[in-house]
Amino acid sequence: MTKVLIVDDSKFSQKITYSFLNQYSEEIEFIFASDGQEGLEKFLEAHPDFMIVDLLMPKLRGQDLIEKAKQVDQEAKVIVLSADVQNRVRDVVEKMGVLSFINKPLDDKKAKMICDIIGNGARGR
Amino acid sequence: MLVADKISREDILTELFNIGVGQAASTLSDIIDKRIGLTIPNVRILDAATGKIELDKYLLQVAEGAVMVSSISFDSQLEGKVSLLFPADKMHHFIDLCLHENRDDLVDNLEFTDIDFDTIKEIGNIVINSIIGELSNTVNIPVEYTLPEIDVLNNASADHFVNCEDCRLVLMMFLAFNIEGTEIAGAVVINMTLKSLDEILNEIDRLYNGR
Repeated sequence: MTKVLIVDDSKFSQKITYSFLNQYSEEIEFIFASDGQEGLEKFLEAHPDFMIVDLLMPKLRGQDLIEKAKQVDQEAKVIVLSADVQNRVRDVVEKMGVLSFINKPLDDKKAKMICDIIGNGARGR
Repeated sequence: MLVADKISREDILTELFNIGVGQAASTLSDIIDKRIGLTIPNVRILDAATGKIELDKYLLQVAEGAVMVSSISFDSQLEGKVSLLFPADKMHHFIDLCLHENRDDLVDNLEFTDIDFDTIKEIGNIVINSIIGELSNTVNIPVEYTLPEIDVLNNASADHFVNCEDCRLVLMMFLAFNIEGTEIAGAVVINMTLKSLDEILNEIDRLYNGR
């Protein structure tokens, strides 16, 4: 099983992300965190294979969570799922070494893309 | 004089916001998986006092002033607050569409659960990001957002939305979404500083000068 940590302060978005990914892959074990700080704690505790991270979150922003996770594990596999459509934000976050930056809302095509990334990463382990 | 020369900066700004709103409608349509009819909004740039009068008219007409409000403040080079207003009595149906659920017993009352608030907060976040983010990309001015807030206001008045001390300008867009026969008359209110609007308009001048 591939362990995926979903970090999003919106339960609605957590549910949408879970539903889409679960539809494409039954080989995923999901872990959820509702803010950046909880995300960091679960990342350190559960050692997920992938982390799907929102950016605008309380306690710890997604950008800061990614930075801290990368300090612990430079190879941490992070996919950003954010409503922020600003090109500059995308540029900065992509330079942090994330696997992909995807804009909300999630749809079939984007979910498939995430599952392909997860599938390829899992096979590479 | 060429026709193009007569296009005012406000016309261009209106068009930029219209593109953002169109994008937001498309995003909403993706979320609820249904086609959304949308009236093309007219952006109005008003001073705070006139903005309040126009907004109070809307609040009186729609849902007798009970609105669900999703708002985000933004700062950095552009400063202000954007609020997305929906008539509260239409929200259960809208939330059900977003969650792909059907709760007949909840229709038309103004009681909302944490899940309802969470859903509208996230929808508001996505819609506001579409509108402000697209504008930010076009004029190449970055914005930083605060966390989104959500509230239901009974007897709401314009003072709730146009209250930032330094914000002297109000950009208002009234939009009507039609989702499977249910019309939701929403409004987007952007209360921003005069300096911010100047920055946007100057950038528009620079980008579109001579075209």
